[in-house]
Amino acid sequence: MSWIAVASPLLLLVGWEIASATGLLRAVFFPRPTTVAEHFLRLVVDGSLPHHGGVTVMRVAWTVLLATPPAVAVGLAMGISRRTREGLDPLFAVIYPIPSVLFLPLISFLLRSAEAALVVTGAITPFFLVAYTTMTGVQQLDRTVLEAATHYGARGWRLFLKVLLPGTLPFIFTGLRLGLGYALIVLIAVEMVSARDGLGALLWLSWGILKVEEMYAALVAIALLGAFLTWGLGLLRARLLPWVEDVAGTAR
Amino acid sequence: MALSIPLSLLVLWEVFSQTSILSPRYFPPPTLVAATLTRLLAGGDLWGETLVTLNRLAIAFVLAAAPGVPAGLAMGLFRPVRYAIEPYLALLYPLPKIALLPLLLIVLGVGEKAFILTGAISAFFQIVISTLGGVQTMDPRLLEVGRNYGARGIALFRKVILPATLPAILTGLRLGLGLALIAVIAVEFVTAKSGLGHLVFRYWQMLLTAEMFAAFVLVGLIGLAFTRGLRALQRRTLAWKEEIGWQ
Repeated sequence: MSWIAVASPLLLLVGWEIASATGLLRAVFFPRPTTVAEHFLRLVVDGSLPHHGGVTVMRVAWTVLLATPPAVAVGLAMGISRRTREGLDPLFAVIYPIPSVLFLPLISFLLRSAEAALVVTGAITPFFLVAYTTMTGVQQLDRTVLEAATHYGARGWRLFLKVLLPGTLPFIFTGLRLGLGYALIVLIAVEMVSARDGLGALLWLSWGILKVEEMYAALVAIALLGAFLTWGLGLLRARLLPWVEDVAGTAR
Repeated sequence: MALSIPLSLLVLWEVFSQTSILSPRYFPPPTLVAATLTRLLAGGDLWGETLVTLNRLAIAFVLAAAPGVPAGLAMGLFRPVRYAIEPYLALLYPLPKIALLPLLLIVLGVGEKAFILTGAISAFFQIVISTLGGVQTMDPRLLEVGRNYGARGIALFRKVILPATLPAILTGLRLGLGLALIAVIAVEFVTAKSGLGHLVFRYWQMLLTAEMFAAFVLVGLIGLAFTRGLRALQRRTLAWKEEIGWQ
C-alpha cells in the first residue's frame, strides 16, 4: 500500500514537468521541476544557498538558545509556585496571542543591532511555548516522587537536575518542537522585511527581481530546513528521552 | 491581586518613560498610548483597518476549515487517501507558510487573493493534522461497540466517529485560527498596504511610536478576545471533556 506514498509525489512532479514543458502551465510562473533543481544546484555550487541557509540556521539556533533557558526557569517557577503562576498568567495571556512579527519594531528600539532584534523577535513565541509546557510538566509530576526526593535530601540544584528536569523534559521538548515551528515562521517573515541575508531574504529578493527559478529554489531550501528541523528534533528526543512518547496532548 | 505584576510593570514603564530613563520617544508612557488608542478609535481609522484584518482572517479561516476537516477525516478513515496525501503533509506542514507568499503573489498577482490564501494555507495544514490525529487516537473500542449495536456507514460516522474526534477537530480549528492570524498579520506587515499589521509597520517607519503601540495593544486585545472566546466555546461544546490544554 505504501507505494502510493512514493507514487503520488512522483506523479505530481512528472505531471508538472510535462505541463510546464508543453506550455499547459505557464513556465514563467511554474518552471519545470528539473529547471528548479538545476538552479538549486547552481545556487549550492556558487555558495549562495549555503551562505543564506547557514545564516538562517544560525538565527534559528540563537532563538532556541535565547528562549529555552529563561523559559524553562520561568516555567519551573510557575509550576512550583502558585503565586508566580497567578501573577504571570494575565501578562502571558495578553502578550502570547500577539503575532510576534509585530514585536520587531519594539525590539529594534530596545536593541541597536538589527541582527539581535531579528533573533529576539523570533525567540518570543518559543519562550512562551516552552514556559507553558514546562509549567504543565511540573504540574503533572508525581507528588510522591517529589516527596521521596526531598526526603532523601535532594534540594536546590540536585532536586532540579535529578528530579524536576528529567520529569519535565518531555514537556520541554514538546514546547521546543512547537516553538521551532513558530520561530521559523517569524524568522522567515522578518528576514523578508528587514534582512539582507538568510533564506527569507533570498526568497523575497528573488521575487522582487522576478527571478522565479531562484525563488523556487529558496522555497525548496526553506521546506527542507523545516523538515530537517522536525526530523532532527525527533532524533534528539529519541536519544535523550527513549522512555516516553511525544506528549502531544499537552500542546493541544 | 492577580493583576499586580502587569499593573506594576505598567506603572514602572510610566515612571521610567516620564522621567526619560526609558526614551519616551521610543517608549511613550502607557497613559499616552491609551490616550492615543482612544483618539484613534474615536477617529474611526483604526476600526477600518481592524475590519480589514478580521475580514481577511475570517475568509482565510473558512477557506482552510471547509476542506481541512473533511480531508483530515478522509485521511484518518481511508488508508489509501492517507498514503497519497501524507508525503505532501510531511514536507509542507513544517514549511513556514509565509514563504509561499512570493509564489502566490506571482501566480495570483499582488492583492487580496494572495494575502488571504497565505493565511488559509497556514491554517489548513494544522486543521488536517489535528483532525487526522483525532481519528487515529480514537479508542477502537468505541468503533467496535458502535458496530455491535448495528451502526454502519453514515450512522457510525455521525454517532461515533464524529463525536469522538470533535475535541481534536476543535483544537485544530483553534490552532488553525491562531496560525491564520499570524500569517495574515505577517503578510500585512511585509507587503499589504492595509490592515493592523501594516499599520504597525507604517507607524514604525514614520516613528509615530504612540500610534504604533496603540495598534500593537489593539492586536493584543483582539488576540486575547479570540483565545478567551474560543476556549469558552470549546468548553461549552465539549461539556463532557475535562480541560483540554493550556493554549
